[in-house]
Amino acid sequence: MTTHLRDSEFVDFAEGTLAPSRAGHLDTCARCRDEAEQVAASLRDVSSVEVPEPSPLFWDHFSARVRQQVAHEAPEPAHWWSSVGVRALVPLVAALAVLIAFVSTALLPRITRSTPAAGELASSHVTPAVSPAAADPDFLSPFDDQDAAVWAVLTAAASDMRVDEAHAAGMGAHIGAVDHEVTHLNQAELKELNRLLQSELKRSSD
Amino acid sequence: MLTRTWAMATPAETGIKVTVTNQTDAELVAACLAGEREAFDVIVERHRRHVYQLCYRFVGNHEDASDLAQDVFIRAYRGLRTFKSQASLGTWLYRIGVNVCLNRVSVKAPKPESLDPLIAASDQRVASQDETAADALLRGERAAQVRAAIGRLPKKQRATLVLRVYHDLPHDEIAKILGSSVGAVKANFFHALNNLKRLLREQP
Repeated sequence: MTTHLRDSEFVDFAEGTLAPSRAGHLDTCARCRDEAEQVAASLRDVSSVEVPEPSPLFWDHFSARVRQQVAHEAPEPAHWWSSVGVRALVPLVAALAVLIAFVSTALLPRITRSTPAAGELASSHVTPAVSPAAADPDFLSPFDDQDAAVWAVLTAAASDMRVDEAHAAGMGAHIGAVDHEVTHLNQAELKELNRLLQSELKRSSD
Repeated sequence: MLTRTWAMATPAETGIKVTVTNQTDAELVAACLAGEREAFDVIVERHRRHVYQLCYRFVGNHEDASDLAQDVFIRAYRGLRTFKSQASLGTWLYRIGVNVCLNRVSVKAPKPESLDPLIAASDQRVASQDETAADALLRGERAAQVRAAIGRLPKKQRATLVLRVYHDLPHDEIAKILGSSVGAVKANFFHALNNLKRLLREQP
């Protein structure tokens, strides 16, 4: 006996595109046959329903309203990223997101923990016996001036970007975007994501 | 089974210069960007019915569908420079329409259809000579039930079902619009049909 039909194959059956090799299963499996027939019946039900047609006058009013709304506007200027293409921006946005997540979850807490107060700095002359880097292989040294400058540029760029601009450029999260991105990460990215999640979980449970 | 009904207005109906109405969508967009506002009128005339129908399928009533469709065209006008001429203007408008509808649906539950004077009696029409008034009434009631059931579907399932069944878009194009995979689109479609069956069974 062949395997039961998958969800997508029930759709194929209802739309008449199920492969003959899989359609044969329906001859031998009453459960799948029943399910397939119900899905097909449901599709027939839905297909038969039309949208009520508005009055012809409505269309004139509709067009007039749109014309009125756009009368005092001009199409917005294209942004620099629209000439680059949204697809080309995806790796950049992903890299920025990972960088920001990394900095906020891994780097900043360490800086906060490892940076002594001003008073402590003035009075402390004790050099640790073991350097943090030696004690923790994942340790990243705190920001230096150059890092701080880069961080300032990043935050300034993010604060200048309006939500609607990002959305118009296709940067907004749409349905399934996260699912899609997660399922398309490579091994290294998955490993990093896993590490960040574990670290975040550990931090929240502390 | 799946039929596309894309009605375009004629030049006589719109009263707009024939030179403009004969242009392709891409030419009209270019004309708009060059400052010819009447070119956008033609775009609206061409696509308004389909955009309205898309919105209606989402919200299930004329008033909201009309507002949403208007919003779609205004957003389209503002973002006209981002339209790529090699793409289909219809699909681009769908994409905007789906986003507008999904955003609205997330903040406002669809309200049941009411008797609207602007709606011509298409649901109540006696479609054929073979169909009695009672049959037409039953058909109208059934249509209202199905529309109400569609309005209760989760928004992603609703979007998939509307684009597939009523706008005849292939699964891969729906996947692009929804930022999903073909497999996910088919799974959503399957669940939408199953949920509809259950919802219709629950109705009195």
